[in-house]
Amino acid sequence: MNRLSLGDRSFTIFIYTALALLAFSCFYPFWNALVISLNTGSDTSLGGVTFWPRDFTWENYRIIFKNDNLLGAFGISVARTVLGTLTSIFATSLLAYGMTVPGLMGRKYYMVFFVVTMYFGGGLIPTFILINNLHLMDKFLVYIIPSMINVWNMIIFRTFFKGLPDGLQEAAKIDGCGPWQTYFRIVLPLSGPVLATLSLFTAIYHWNEWFYAAIYIQTDALRPIQAVLRQILYSNIVSQNVSNLDAGSVAAMARMQQVTSKSLSNAIMMVATIPIILVYPFLQRFFVKGVLVGSLKE
Amino acid sequence: MSKIKKAWLGSAAGALVLATVLAGCAGGSKNNNAQGSASASPAPSAAATGSGSASAPAGTGWEFGSEPLTVSLYGHYDWYAAPPWGEDESSKWIRDNKKLTMNFIPSANNSKQKLTTMMSTKELPDVIWLDRGSAEYEMLRKGGMLVALDEYMEKYPNLRTYLMKETANLLRAEDGKLYQFPNWYTNKDKPIGNAGYVVNKKIYEELGSPKLETTDDLYNYLKSVKEKYGNAIVPFEPDQTIDGQGLDVLYSAFGEGALNRWVGNRSYPQGDKLTSIFKDPVYRESMQYAAKLFREGLMSQDAMTQTRDQIKEKILNGKVAVYACSNPTEFAPEGHEKLKEKDPNAGYFMIKPIAKPGLDRSKIYPGTYATLGWNVAVITKSAKDPEKVFAMLDWMTGPEGTSVLHWGPPGKYWEGVQADGITPVFKDTYWQDSKGLAELQTTTGQLQWVGNTVFQDKVKAQYEDTLPDDKRSWQLKYQYQITWPSSADATEYANLMPAKNSDAGIAQTAVEDIYKESRAAALYAKSDDEVIKIMDQADSDAMAVGYQKFLDYQTERWQRNLKIMKGE
Amino acid sequence: MAQMSTRTEDVLLTKNSNVVVRFIRQWDIQLMVWPALVLIFIFSYLPMYGIITAFKEYNVLVGMNASPWVGLQHFRDFFNSPDFNRIMRNTIVISSLKLLIGFPAPIFLALMLNEVKNRYFKNFVQSITYLPFFISWVIVTGLVISMLSVDNGSINIALERVGAIDGPLNWLSIKEYFWAILITTNVWKDIGFNSIVFIAAIAGVDPHLYEAAEMDGAGRIKRIFLITLPGIMPVVVIFLVLAIGNLLNAGFEDILLLSKNPILWKVSDVIDTYVYRNGIENMRYSFATAIGLFKAVINVVLLVLANRLARRWGSSLW
Repeated sequence: MNRLSLGDRSFTIFIYTALALLAFSCFYPFWNALVISLNTGSDTSLGGVTFWPRDFTWENYRIIFKNDNLLGAFGISVARTVLGTLTSIFATSLLAYGMTVPGLMGRKYYMVFFVVTMYFGGGLIPTFILINNLHLMDKFLVYIIPSMINVWNMIIFRTFFKGLPDGLQEAAKIDGCGPWQTYFRIVLPLSGPVLATLSLFTAIYHWNEWFYAAIYIQTDALRPIQAVLRQILYSNIVSQNVSNLDAGSVAAMARMQQVTSKSLSNAIMMVATIPIILVYPFLQRFFVKGVLVGSLKE
Repeated sequence: MSKIKKAWLGSAAGALVLATVLAGCAGGSKNNNAQGSASASPAPSAAATGSGSASAPAGTGWEFGSEPLTVSLYGHYDWYAAPPWGEDESSKWIRDNKKLTMNFIPSANNSKQKLTTMMSTKELPDVIWLDRGSAEYEMLRKGGMLVALDEYMEKYPNLRTYLMKETANLLRAEDGKLYQFPNWYTNKDKPIGNAGYVVNKKIYEELGSPKLETTDDLYNYLKSVKEKYGNAIVPFEPDQTIDGQGLDVLYSAFGEGALNRWVGNRSYPQGDKLTSIFKDPVYRESMQYAAKLFREGLMSQDAMTQTRDQIKEKILNGKVAVYACSNPTEFAPEGHEKLKEKDPNAGYFMIKPIAKPGLDRSKIYPGTYATLGWNVAVITKSAKDPEKVFAMLDWMTGPEGTSVLHWGPPGKYWEGVQADGITPVFKDTYWQDSKGLAELQTTTGQLQWVGNTVFQDKVKAQYEDTLPDDKRSWQLKYQYQITWPSSADATEYANLMPAKNSDAGIAQTAVEDIYKESRAAALYAKSDDEVIKIMDQADSDAMAVGYQKFLDYQTERWQRNLKIMKGE
Repeated sequence: MAQMSTRTEDVLLTKNSNVVVRFIRQWDIQLMVWPALVLIFIFSYLPMYGIITAFKEYNVLVGMNASPWVGLQHFRDFFNSPDFNRIMRNTIVISSLKLLIGFPAPIFLALMLNEVKNRYFKNFVQSITYLPFFISWVIVTGLVISMLSVDNGSINIALERVGAIDGPLNWLSIKEYFWAILITTNVWKDIGFNSIVFIAAIAGVDPHLYEAAEMDGAGRIKRIFLITLPGIMPVVVIFLVLAIGNLLNAGFEDILLLSKNPILWKVSDVIDTYVYRNGIENMRYSFATAIGLFKAVINVVLLVLANRLARRWGSSLW
């Protein structure tokens, strides 16, 4: 510590302060949403609920969890996220590696072929008709197959793979490894950070995605948690509005209402995001600087 | 996208629903393409052939409940999520006693795309519940996907009885057929609406209960509020002014018989023509007044940006002196209770409409309504047996259906009917267990696709008239005393909006942007003259994007409405 | 081993040799690529005939083929719209600001985190800063609106207390502040999440390089510029290229929710909000498709240009 120069020390102080401030500003809104989800809605609408629930209740969560479909939907979401992430990361990283192998014929054309799809698409209706013709309607596989190849992820993978030490591929060649063996035995084990990052991105995508369910799924049992939560939210919010039609009931409702759209939507946000947020801390060990590369080089 | 809808829900859906009345999206549009409609005019008889309806004897219909029926329904709203069928008491009773099963197709908060995809494969649900005269309705009708209801209407009693002839005619398509089964339609002698001014009682009394009758009174009162309470109290709270709200209520104060439906339509009548709202002297004067309030800090400075939550918070904490909007009865009753808990003398009350000095207060209408109601249900040709589907809707809009859907199955809140054979006899549980009833109604409210305001309000009023004041809710009391009497029939100005994908509709969208920007700009104007300048500029900008096309369309529709209403 | 030797031959083969033969000989590499080509062909290329709806007046019930051609009508409508100029200006300005400020910010955060020695603090900050990414825009903008409120908004109270302003300002009604508010909110929401990929890139930098630099007496800031930044440059460049190729997507939900006051529309209306009001809400499917196509073409042009620049730094998309 003594060896640190004055500049170094003020540099450290600056970094710690800035990061702490940023962390607080990021933490507070989330915490506040959690607090609101644990406070009665009618009390929240009086304002001033900040760091701690003022009128504690589980009511918002009770409404969410009394839905019978929720557990099944949770299962679908987990299955979809795990399967979707594994298949997509495997297929996409394999593709990305293939695209970096020296001597691949047609690489430039392939790349253009892929990149074009990032910008041009046929739109909803042709896609819908296609999915319908492929008999993927109302099937679990509709979550997995159409989104298996992610071009954006492929580009990132490729960039990282290119950054692997050049000597490795040569060494692998000399050891007699074909491209597939190189991919499995050398490239994948060395790509911890990028695998972790893109797996996280893909998992978040799968967890949050609800459009496929909205358009292609009819069966209740196949709906993911996001779709079910949206339905709970909308059916509860709208009830407040539809009830306006009846002159007599609103005042009575307002008195009884512990739950408001605000309290409920905050609770739903918590249920929808906490499982996926918890994934990140587990992935952090993959971000430790250079462990894998370092160990291999020696 | 999803979340936006949610944010708007508070305002949009709330405003939509209760302002059944004000809902602008109306009008079986007349498309330039006259051929389309001719070729597409559907033949209901053809649809019915080969289905169960053919077996029904002429003159009498199929009896709803005589055999099991399954109907699929799609509510074409992002926010619509039907409650599970058979889980509440009302739908359980219908399922068990009328053998009806409903299959709901969820919009999953994605209604536009969902309907488009269903249309692309022509696999439509039996019933679609959507906005009256909307682009989607027109598209379905012109595509020959809808079943005309006229033939069935003759065979079944209820819609025929409760829907006024002229209202039915207003709903008719240009081919003369009726495809739209209206929801919450009403009739002339039954005004509805909640618009008006709510006053904070405690502040009012602390300031010596001054006279609040004219716009000058209001201005002076708001000034004294500001002087006494400073920034702690918002003198005038107009709700979310992006939707008009308090500004539209103020509009009504500057002209006898001035209807804020005109502001909603973005046109006002001059002779037999509808003309630019920007040139409307009443509109101009009201905006000058509003700008003055805003400029002098007498109006909420967040009026354009605030969220529904912020408004509610202010009302509940008694932080506003005067609150005006199209539906103050949504927050005010709760605020009234909350304030009374702390101080029995506090609370909110409503006042009779404010008028510009010299105008007759009894001719001032802060609210309007239309007999057409809110939205409509249509039956598609995908329905295997459209007549049975109609029979179901007709039952739902009839006395028994309305009673079950609105006051629960027989036995709990009502039992048996009066001598007329249709009016339910309420039990004391009706007001004793108002909580339970309200809870039930929050669910069944979403099952009322063909609500019948005529019957429902008549029954309710008959019963509630017999209640003493203390058993009436805050809201009901002021509806009787103030908001209903000051609500004007604007049916002739309903249904004036072109389908949004037509030429006039495209112009309308562009005018809408100009209108909203100009209204905001006028509110921030520094002087009365600037307000006028902004209005003139907006008028010429709007004309440049085709305002006249839109106005011509509206004039034509208005004249058509008038003819129909005169029975021509 | 046999494969290996053929591969060596590949390299040695002259250009005149038979392309088909070469191709078949590298079947094992091609096999890595072809399944993806097929999937992309099916799910992305087969539906592309939908693009022709941009040149038609598409009616879903009539069908794609029977809908009438209108040529470039939808494009003309868009270009001739009186709002066209301001929409394009706002789109480009907002996008560019997001790029100029929003793009480097997560790199900056990743670099700062890399300088933190305490692992627990580092992991903690990482996990916290990525939370806002998961808060919906409705809730985020709700917070922003109430913070900036005239009536008891915390920003106004704080500024008044330090004497920076005389009375509460109506922040979200003043055109000049809108872009700053929008960009700040965006940066805050995405900084943690977007930094993850740069943290991953930093993790790939060879630690020996740092040791060497330290021995040469390079200070911490110098090491960042000498080792870390060059180490992650390929990733940064590729992300930058992709971001530039996304320039006409200025955002949608954030803008829509923060610019509720029509007084701001002169500075807030962008292509996507325009399409939402004029296309999607009005069921003008073809119009929306046409503008989408316009956007895609411009974006691709930008991407190609950006990629050409990137090639000078040794990175390229293709």
